[in-house]
Amino acid sequence: MRVVIAEDLALLREGLVALLRENDIEVVAQVEDGPGLLRAIAGHEPDLAIVDVRLPPTFKDEGLIAAIEARRRQPALGVLVLSQYVETAYASELVGEHTAGIGYLLKERVGDVRAFLDALRSVAAGGTVLDRQVVAELLAPREGADQTLPGLTAREREVLALMAEGRSNTAIAESLVVTPGAVEKHITSIFAKLDLGACDEDHRRVLAVLAYLRVAR
Amino acid sequence: MDHRARLPLELGLPRGARPRRWMPTLAAGLSIGEYARSLERRLAFLTAVLLAAIWALGGQGYFWPAWAWLGLGDLVLLDFTAGWAWRHPPGAIRRVACVWALVGAAAVILVFTWLLTWLLAGVHSFWPAWALLGLATAGSSYSLVALHDRVLVAHGRRALRARIDMLTHTRRQAVAAQAAELRRIERDLHDGAQARLVALTLQLGRAELRVSDQPEVRRLIKDAQHEARQAIEELRDLARGIVPPLLADRGLVAAVESLGARYGLGTSVDATMHRALAPAVENAAYFVIAEALTNTAKHAAAARSWIVISEERRALTVVVGDDGAGGADPAGSGLAGLRARVEALDGSLKVESPAGAGTVLEARLPCGW
Ligand SMILES: Nc1ncnc2c1ncn2[C@@H]1O[C@H](COP(=O)(O)OP(=O)(O)O)[C@@H](O)[C@H]1O
Ligand SMILES: [Mg+2]
Repeated sequence: MRVVIAEDLALLREGLVALLRENDIEVVAQVEDGPGLLRAIAGHEPDLAIVDVRLPPTFKDEGLIAAIEARRRQPALGVLVLSQYVETAYASELVGEHTAGIGYLLKERVGDVRAFLDALRSVAAGGTVLDRQVVAELLAPREGADQTLPGLTAREREVLALMAEGRSNTAIAESLVVTPGAVEKHITSIFAKLDLGACDEDHRRVLAVLAYLRVAR
Repeated sequence: MDHRARLPLELGLPRGARPRRWMPTLAAGLSIGEYARSLERRLAFLTAVLLAAIWALGGQGYFWPAWAWLGLGDLVLLDFTAGWAWRHPPGAIRRVACVWALVGAAAVILVFTWLLTWLLAGVHSFWPAWALLGLATAGSSYSLVALHDRVLVAHGRRALRARIDMLTHTRRQAVAAQAAELRRIERDLHDGAQARLVALTLQLGRAELRVSDQPEVRRLIKDAQHEARQAIEELRDLARGIVPPLLADRGLVAAVESLGARYGLGTSVDATMHRALAPAVENAAYFVIAEALTNTAKHAAAARSWIVISEERRALTVVVGDDGAGGADPAGSGLAGLRARVEALDGSLKVESPAGAGTVLEARLPCGW
């Protein structure tokens, strides 16, 4: 896997580079701002870009804008956006029309190295990974709300949340302390309730995640 | 500016623009009285200059034109003070003018009497000198006492206005500086302490991978990571409480739309904005909307909720409405806090909430920051 990193804080950038190299992931370029990212993906054609939301010069959302632009230019590129805070609005924008190969995580998730590497690989392979905090916010029961996901049970919500994080069925089963068979049953039920017809499993997972985002919009 | 608008301005002009001539003409629109008076002043001035010239040409010596100057000056003083007294409404100024007119009249009489004694009886010493000095002293003392209050009050008023201007200015500066400072602190929390803690969890994660065969050490590392994550979360909540990141990064409209979506009240957001707002105004507008939406969600049981943000040349108007229960108490802690916050920016907050007929909050925030 070939990766480009766009992060302005040297401490974090170097830590990330070291982490990836230790795990046999090739870091082909490290950049500090949006234009740098666009140049790097044009020059190196990486599989994945890891992008911080706040980048120089204004430290607002230029990383997000650059990530969206990078994907517009290279639709096959996986983009994992890291941020100190998550906004559901940013998640919606990032997912846009093309759901494949998108990740949006809080920065501190890098601490759980195995899960982080899983997320990286998943995004590079065209999966969708959303931070559990985004998911939690999308799923939160709202005061006076009339628009939540239609008729999901509490358990199904939990499973959906974990799916949105890009977890495998086995990982979900472990996390909820149930059997993989039970997880599969929940997932089938979720797909039915969200009216996601027959298509391949991975794609349905993505659609399930998108069902969240549609509620958010 | 159109033609009609300019007309009154031109009509107002001739006062200042009246041509200055040595001798006024009646054609300049003066009344006979005004004409005579301005003629008199000019004649007095001309005579004074003429006499001085005659003295200078006639071998100089004793400066006799001084006596003529005294007489002429006295006449002009009389004329001025009388005019002055006439123009001013009853009060201290008119009284002072009258006193000086009397002083002038007395002086004229004294000087003429002396002239007579000099011409007829050959009295050479200028005996009215002490009397004139006395009159002038009395006049000055009276003016001082009579105008004392006025001068003090005028001075006090000026000082007060200057102080108000200064306080307004410094308060604006303080509020603007505070808002800018809060933005800086929010950014520093994210990019400083929080980023370092993230780097720390990353290092701990790498360390953990290397000791996968030592469960004791792994557990210690996991605990340390947990602590670091906790600290990161606290910092994030702290930063969000200071300034919501979306507000700092994308401005008021984006932040408000996200807020509306989060409450799930189906809030409509209608915003017309033409330029970036000052952080102080943006923060205040955001907190007004956040509190109003919280109230709608908590108390109103509304079917509809709406936000209108509009910007005029000088003020931002924020309206947050719902069609719920109404009967909001403007003295409640939340609403009173909002009012204080809005008033700190010289803005105003209106709460309309008749029982059973919904609630509309309108905040007006001046934009000159
Ligand atoms: N939109 C609203 N609809 C109905 N009642 C309201 C609304 N907003 C406020 N109120 C009433 O006014 C009171 C004062 O509001 P507030 O100052 O925000 O205090 P708090 O929300 O903390 O109770 C509330 O307790 C509530 O009873
Ligand atoms: Mg309240």
